[in-house]
Amino acid sequence: MDFSVFEPAVSGAKELFSIEKKNVKEALTKLKNFDFANADYGKILHDFIYGKPHEERRLGDLYEDRTCLYKHREWRGIKDTFYYFNNIWLYNYIMAVKDIVTSDEPLAVLKGFWRYRWLGQGYMSVLHWFDRGLEGERGLGLRASAWHYRAMVCETIRQFSRLCAADSKLHNGQRNELWYKTFAHDETVAGAIFYPWRDRADDVPLQMVPYFVTVHVNANAVLSYIDAIQSIGLPGDPCPMCQAESGIFVLDDYPDYSPFLVTSNEACDASVSTSITTDWFFNRPLFAMPQPMQFDDPLVQKYCRKEIENCWKFIEEQTGMPFNKDEFLKHIKAFNEITEFEHEKWEVSAKTDYYPVNGVAQALYRIYSSQVGDRHQWHEIDAHVRKIMTKAVQNKINPYPKARHRVLAWSCAPMFYSFWCTWAYNCWGLKTVINMDSLMFDIIVRTDTEDHLMEDFTKFNEWAPMRRMAVGGYKHIFECWENYERFNCDMIMMYDQIQCKGMTGIHGMFEDEFRNRGIPACWMPHALDDRRPVTRAEIRNAINEYMSTVMKEEPLDPTLLEFDDEASW
Amino acid sequence: MKRFLSKVLKISLGVYSALFVVFFFDLDGKLIKYLVEPIFLKHYDDMPRRDVTKDEYLIGKFDNFDKDT
Repeated sequence: MDFSVFEPAVSGAKELFSIEKKNVKEALTKLKNFDFANADYGKILHDFIYGKPHEERRLGDLYEDRTCLYKHREWRGIKDTFYYFNNIWLYNYIMAVKDIVTSDEPLAVLKGFWRYRWLGQGYMSVLHWFDRGLEGERGLGLRASAWHYRAMVCETIRQFSRLCAADSKLHNGQRNELWYKTFAHDETVAGAIFYPWRDRADDVPLQMVPYFVTVHVNANAVLSYIDAIQSIGLPGDPCPMCQAESGIFVLDDYPDYSPFLVTSNEACDASVSTSITTDWFFNRPLFAMPQPMQFDDPLVQKYCRKEIENCWKFIEEQTGMPFNKDEFLKHIKAFNEITEFEHEKWEVSAKTDYYPVNGVAQALYRIYSSQVGDRHQWHEIDAHVRKIMTKAVQNKINPYPKARHRVLAWSCAPMFYSFWCTWAYNCWGLKTVINMDSLMFDIIVRTDTEDHLMEDFTKFNEWAPMRRMAVGGYKHIFECWENYERFNCDMIMMYDQIQCKGMTGIHGMFEDEFRNRGIPACWMPHALDDRRPVTRAEIRNAINEYMSTVMKEEPLDPTLLEFDDEASW
Repeated sequence: MKRFLSKVLKISLGVYSALFVVFFFDLDGKLIKYLVEPIFLKHYDDMPRRDVTKDEYLIGKFDNFDKDT
């Protein structure tokens, strides 16, 4: 065995030892300098039991330099600290292990961790993803937001477990039964397309867990893939999403888990380029299912419907499994329930201060659940959240009492800094009420007649992420104004994906509208999944400057203004 | 039976306390960051990888599906 693989761990252990030694020394110095004679023991006891008030938490002091690991995790008061320990940290570690152990082939998953960078590097740090998104959370906000995270972890494990169990690369090139019963598709093809086969097979998006989800959990996992596609000649300026999706092929890091692939042109033409590289490297029968750009045009509806029906015919031919209409209807109706509850959540978020879900949990859960389609865990988690939300509304509990501004987050979010909204609330009292990508797939599909079903399902397919707002014509991206009113916002956080040519083209019109309408709007530059062109620190600086110079406000927690997180996950 | 239960309780309490220490001082994060992740990253960096660009792009190889337009 080659023991040189352990060398980085040895130097890592030495570095960790010296950091912990420094922390212990600092703690002992603090203790030594503590004024025992004049201390306010009543306040100390109160803070121990209930946690410190927001302005006294000094969350930035908890971070280790560069890595943003914690010197120690937050003390949130007895109740919330032990809730976090038992019901979030311990519970999610146990459930993650349980989900893997009860999957089709747990051994294949372990092999997958060793074989695929996106799996090993991407997901080991998953509990820190919880930590970052739930920093400063208390009470009902902590509970409801954490349930959303749990649902996403459950779905992610389902996907990568199935990928590994069906993967011929992990089975010495052999194609097992699961290989023939697992459907591969672009992550931007709605999982709902494959409902008719759910009773006999399952679908797993090709790039969802290898790419999309890893960026949120560990912002470093996709960088080598972006570099890989550029190493074979792609310039650096196309959409980083498409770069990373293609780059995974260049490093031969996709599993081989399906007899065919369905692609789409979602979100835009860059995805078509990705489909070409996919067609080359995946080397499998491929069905390209485009969605119309100008989806409002009534003339395109029948063609879009035809594409979906052709896709279904393609799947039948590839698998020999006929379309099951009952199965299709069952999941359509079940997902309608999820959409209905989502509408209730928006109602509470728009009209009250009692919405117990933070910005990042709202955004990620919605985009994940609606893109993947109906799954059992969404219903389970919605039941938990419903109870919590009902309690908040009935008892008029404001989970975010320090919110100074109700923020509408618009355009494509920075995937590597999706938890910026948690930081923004803790530092500046900015409560992200809703974000653009939550508002897609927003249709209750009628099931009374065949025509109504297909009419609405076609629209559902068209109202995909980014296409629904950012790419489907300027009047859709300008739905910003009606949603600003609808959700009773007083500020807009305007995401500025610097490598998106579509959004760059409309930048000036947004500037004009912000000015004409008198809307306070802060631009947040980013490069989607690549943390290097615009770092998290630069994003925070942009917001800090806006809040201090334009809004003329003081931070709630000044320790969060500036810190080094260059080497964080 | 009483002694056995008492022993189980003490061990459980010990394990629970140890887990709380791991949780509170973020020892799981530190272990992953400094010990486990570097091993995996070195392994991924050193893995021999097939040059997929040498695969011929067989355009139209599977083009036998009749689309109903």
